[in-house]
Amino acid sequence: MSKKLKISDYNEKLSSHSKDKDFSDQIINHSRSMISIINREYIYEKVNSTFCNAHQVAVDSIVGKSIDDVWGYDTFNKIIKNNIDLCFSGKTISYEASFLTPLLGKRYFEVVFRPLAADDGEITHILAETFDINDLRQSKQTAFEKEEELRIFETNLPIGFLRCDPEGNIIHANKAFLGIMDCVDEDQITRMNLKSFYPEQELFEMQLEQLLDCHTKSFGKFSLKNCKGEEIPCRVSGFMAVDESDSPSYIDFAVEDSSRELMLENRLQQAQKLETIGALAGGIAHDFNNILATISGYSEMLHDDLPKESDLSDKVSKIQGAVLKAQSITNQILTFSRQVEQEKVPVSVSEVLKETIGFVKSSIPSNIIVRSRFSEKSANVFADPTQLFRVFLNLMTNAIQAMEENGGTLSVSLDVVEGKYVKHELNKDIVADEYVLLTFKDTGKGMESSVIRRIFEPFFTTREVGKGTGLGLSVIHGIITEIEGEILVSSKKEIGSVFYIYLPVSKKYPDFSGNTNEKKKILFITGNKHESRILSLALENTGYELSYISDRRNMIKVMAYINERPDLIIYMSDSKQIEHGDLVGIFRRLRINTPCILITDPNQELTEENLLNSGIIKQQLIKPVSLKEIRNAIQISLR
Amino acid sequence: MPGILIVEDEKELREMLKISLIRHNFTVFEAVNGRDAIAHFKPSSTDMVVTDLIMPEEDGLKVIMKLKELKPSIKIVAISGGGKAGPGSYLNLAKALGADAIYSKPFSINDLIVKIEELLAFEQPS
Repeated sequence: MSKKLKISDYNEKLSSHSKDKDFSDQIINHSRSMISIINREYIYEKVNSTFCNAHQVAVDSIVGKSIDDVWGYDTFNKIIKNNIDLCFSGKTISYEASFLTPLLGKRYFEVVFRPLAADDGEITHILAETFDINDLRQSKQTAFEKEEELRIFETNLPIGFLRCDPEGNIIHANKAFLGIMDCVDEDQITRMNLKSFYPEQELFEMQLEQLLDCHTKSFGKFSLKNCKGEEIPCRVSGFMAVDESDSPSYIDFAVEDSSRELMLENRLQQAQKLETIGALAGGIAHDFNNILATISGYSEMLHDDLPKESDLSDKVSKIQGAVLKAQSITNQILTFSRQVEQEKVPVSVSEVLKETIGFVKSSIPSNIIVRSRFSEKSANVFADPTQLFRVFLNLMTNAIQAMEENGGTLSVSLDVVEGKYVKHELNKDIVADEYVLLTFKDTGKGMESSVIRRIFEPFFTTREVGKGTGLGLSVIHGIITEIEGEILVSSKKEIGSVFYIYLPVSKKYPDFSGNTNEKKKILFITGNKHESRILSLALENTGYELSYISDRRNMIKVMAYINERPDLIIYMSDSKQIEHGDLVGIFRRLRINTPCILITDPNQELTEENLLNSGIIKQQLIKPVSLKEIRNAIQISLR
Repeated sequence: MPGILIVEDEKELREMLKISLIRHNFTVFEAVNGRDAIAHFKPSSTDMVVTDLIMPEEDGLKVIMKLKELKPSIKIVAISGGGKAGPGSYLNLAKALGADAIYSKPFSINDLIVKIEELLAFEQPS
């Protein structure tokens, strides 16, 4: 134990020269540490001035006292004694502890015990040095807290942050970067080079060169490849740190995921594009309506001029039928470009949706399942029920068509969500506290992104020529936009498509007062009870007295039982219906000369001439009809 | 014979309306746009105006306002091929401004004639 200090060395040094001893005493007494010599009985044999000052006592009131006298019984037994005993076994001991000091209260100290051996090597004393490390400890704590704050900041910031060596080897990456790049953990990242996230290595090398030139640089938006190999649009900037010799020491990168920003930009662009197309198409539709009005007017005059039973009447009727078809198309274009006003009533979305699902379910192929889930909360929107029906029917029909070949599941759901949530989703002004969120999800063929981008454009269709006008989704877009809603789509090829519709919840409720329709009786004859239900939702607060027959086979029976003849009959035809000629026959047989509105399918052969010519049919409308069209037709027919 | 002013910028449609109204024994005046209608309006001989709404050189809404001012008893029928001014349609605006009837193009000319006769309480000789 040659390193061990011997007490005689101290004594010798201290007593060798009185002047030296004075110096030594000065040094010892003015040390910032409390210094003492303790014997095996735990008694202080020597203490310096610092020790006495800290305790505010004189030297002789400590020398000769035991440690527990000075520091208290508990402190001695719990902290000090063990360490002293260890030191007496020959080890230098150092530890940190807090002690109560009379002058400054509780403070932290570093305590060092060194064994002092007698000439024979036996350890008889201990040299104790106690340094006040309170300030040091405090600054360490502050530094730690600051570091922790920075760490939390860096961890929680939604901006990817990473540090690389000058070659691009990743040293550290924060949580956000791992998230953006879809990486499992930091270990995986730190084994990689940033270069491997670049689709083109040249770009990375060029950026490094730019950083060498100007140290800080924003690289703007470009795509990085995530851990799964998918391209993620990102906004990237970098900072290169250099050492004293101006050579690079490390590079920091900030990476922001800009997919959402890009998505919103795209959405805005698409909305603007649709506005432009809408204005253009709306103008054309307007001009066409002028032309159609001329054709329609002359053909009516021609029809009036022809002698009764002329075989030219058929041909004129065909012209009029074609005008109706053309009008239906111009109407759709005007609906898309929001140039026609929708007649709106407060309506329960869930009721319209339930009827639509019922309507669709009656004719779906067996390999397709329709699932639905409704929020318990009911909500009204201010809209035309017939138009909502049209929207839902169109989306569901498209979904079913996408699954026709291989079968699948169409899941429809209705939720009521808070407006502020919608604001985040749509990034546009919200107009209601709550929104109805409708989801139509299929497991069909899905769409390419090039198709998704154009899906709401009029006349855009993926179907072959002649199958559909390609107006369906554009009209839906117009209807939804007109009621201040929003329609969004996401789709993956071979996985399926999801359409989301957000509709502002209306606080308006159906108002049955103030109708001056004198309780005119209207009888609806439809082929489907769901269709009747939609009509009743649309017309329930118009003041008309409505009755419905949806089972046509019983029609004759029912008609015969109507004692009070209706003022108007609205006959909605579908493919399964009885012949129109027969209808005229029935009406005549029953001596019904009630005015009638005929609503037909657009693809139906126009065989209603004799109906129209018979004078029974006042108006003919082509599906889909809006509430406004029905109301206008009713008003004209009842005149 | 009641006098009817047709305001329509589409020549063929204006012609059609004119022929049809003459067939029903009305006296017909024509104007090719709103400005023309206002400039050549003859209050004493005109009982009704059938006006398009979206036209160059003063639209139909101006015509309605101006002619109502010049002759408050005048009957007005507005026809439009669709179009919106702000939140409401042109046709609804026309109605708000005093149009007695509104029709979307294309319309049934016979319906229009029936309405015109009704508004003018005009008995057609049989």
